[in-house]
Amino acid sequence: MARDLMTPVERAKALREGRPADRIRCVPSISNTAARVIGVRVSELRSSGETLARATIATYRRFGFDSVRVFTDLYVQPEAMGSKVRVPLDETAHMEAPAVSREEEVETLVPHNPYTDGPLPVLLEATKRTLDAIGHEVPVTCGVEGPFTLASLLVGADNISRWMLRKPELAHRVIGLAYEASRQLADAVIDLGSAPNITCAMSSSTVISPRHFREFSQPYLKRLIEHVKGRGVAAVGLHICGKTAGIWRGMADTGASCLSIDNMAHLDEAKAEVGDRVCLMGNIPPSEVLLQGAPAEVRAAAFKCIREAWDSPCGFILASGCSLATETPFANIDAMMDAAREAGWPVRPDILATEA
Amino acid sequence: MSEESEALFRGLSDAVVNLEEEKAVELAAEVVKKNIDAYEAVDKGLAHGMDRAGRLFEEDEYFVPELLIAADAMYAGLDVLRPHIKADAASEPGKIVLGVVEGDTHDIGKNLVKIILEAKGFTVFDLGRDVPPGDFVKKAREVGADIIGLSTLMTTTMPGMAEVVENLRAAGLRDRIKVMIGGAPISSAFARRIGADGYSANAVEAGELAARLLAETRAAGARAVAV
Repeated sequence: MARDLMTPVERAKALREGRPADRIRCVPSISNTAARVIGVRVSELRSSGETLARATIATYRRFGFDSVRVFTDLYVQPEAMGSKVRVPLDETAHMEAPAVSREEEVETLVPHNPYTDGPLPVLLEATKRTLDAIGHEVPVTCGVEGPFTLASLLVGADNISRWMLRKPELAHRVIGLAYEASRQLADAVIDLGSAPNITCAMSSSTVISPRHFREFSQPYLKRLIEHVKGRGVAAVGLHICGKTAGIWRGMADTGASCLSIDNMAHLDEAKAEVGDRVCLMGNIPPSEVLLQGAPAEVRAAAFKCIREAWDSPCGFILASGCSLATETPFANIDAMMDAAREAGWPVRPDILATEA
Repeated sequence: MSEESEALFRGLSDAVVNLEEEKAVELAAEVVKKNIDAYEAVDKGLAHGMDRAGRLFEEDEYFVPELLIAADAMYAGLDVLRPHIKADAASEPGKIVLGVVEGDTHDIGKNLVKIILEAKGFTVFDLGRDVPPGDFVKKAREVGADIIGLSTLMTTTMPGMAEVVENLRAAGLRDRIKVMIGGAPISSAFARRIGADGYSANAVEAGELAARLLAETRAAGARAVAV
């Protein structure tokens, strides 16, 4: 298989300037699979900045993808603000109970301090170490939660649902607080010289209506991203899971430079609707194809994505539709990277012509 | 059925689909006061409204929050009506043991499925989240369940689903109890692979699937009796 001839930074620059490049960009959204790369337990990534950095760096070196995200799970921020999180020894952490379950307790919520609270110092240390080691050749970002999602994880999805419909002011109060927390984490990340990469799972139209997205999520995402860009960060990625077709315009209006599209949505449709405004990334199915499929299926799925969106006006990055499962076989991640190498740049005409 | 009861049933259905909890309670109280059949009021009123809400969900008009609030209205009305339902009014309800597989605490999907199943008349035994595979089988045996429903959001817990099917087989109950599964990382291919009886992509489909599986079980049961 072809080897990479450029670093991700060189490749991105060449593509931006319309110069030749060795291949299309490719980002499998790897999170805890990094533990498998260096042979540690998943929980160790969350408890040591040194270990998380070592795993993140080794994973980048192992696969050679185009953007590095320091990330373990969606629960580090909720945990730092008092939500109960269970951390199994060797599996991804998950939520046990929200920080607050009743309206009267909302006053007790305060934004986390990213330098002292929960696992956030670990995350920041890992970001710093990763940046120092490989930041010269690959963009290094750190995961930051969208305010609406953080709010749901702080008070529970049931509460935020009921409050949006019954007590919109209360919902806004919690989401505003979550905004403040995410803003502070984003600032800490930017202070290190890195950039936040924003994920807002609960904004998905699989969960809430586009109308609620416009009212309770989009304005806060926009504020957050405008703040980040105001601090000199040019590229801000935004990922929303599940169905998103009805909110792409709103997502682009946040000012994000790149939208990550889940495999429950269609890249060609996203390209038609917002491809002239934002870079798109997506959307190989992480479970059915990357976790459970064979390398040949990964390759076919990668080419299908490429065919759909390679010519998106503001750029396209071959990516997984969502974060990869921890036990995703390395062979499948390699197959995904190799598909990008095989496609090259400009994309080989025979790959564009073949039907899956 | 009198025009009066019909109007009340329609009102109850509307209250649920329009997310009006107080209205549902008020109309349910009226049903009781006027001695109208409570079971019919649930079936043609509250459950009917939940069914409409479910259809709006499938049409992308309603989303998770709207379904949750519609369910609030349904349950509030049900609380008023339940004590007045005559024991013999309903046919033997289907029994389903439901839960999120061990290793996962995401339960929004499971909770929606529960709502839809209860609206369809199922008796739901909700084991909650993070449930060890063995517990599903134990509970199913204990209550004489027709179906076990498994939900997950995390890929790590998918082997747990296969284990439930396996445990069921080992317990000699596989022929009697159907298994249905769902959740973001699940596909119908995965369901087939682990030998589950069905997969559904969302809560409303899960309701339809459960009804179908129950009908199959009962038909098979009837055949067995005839033989």
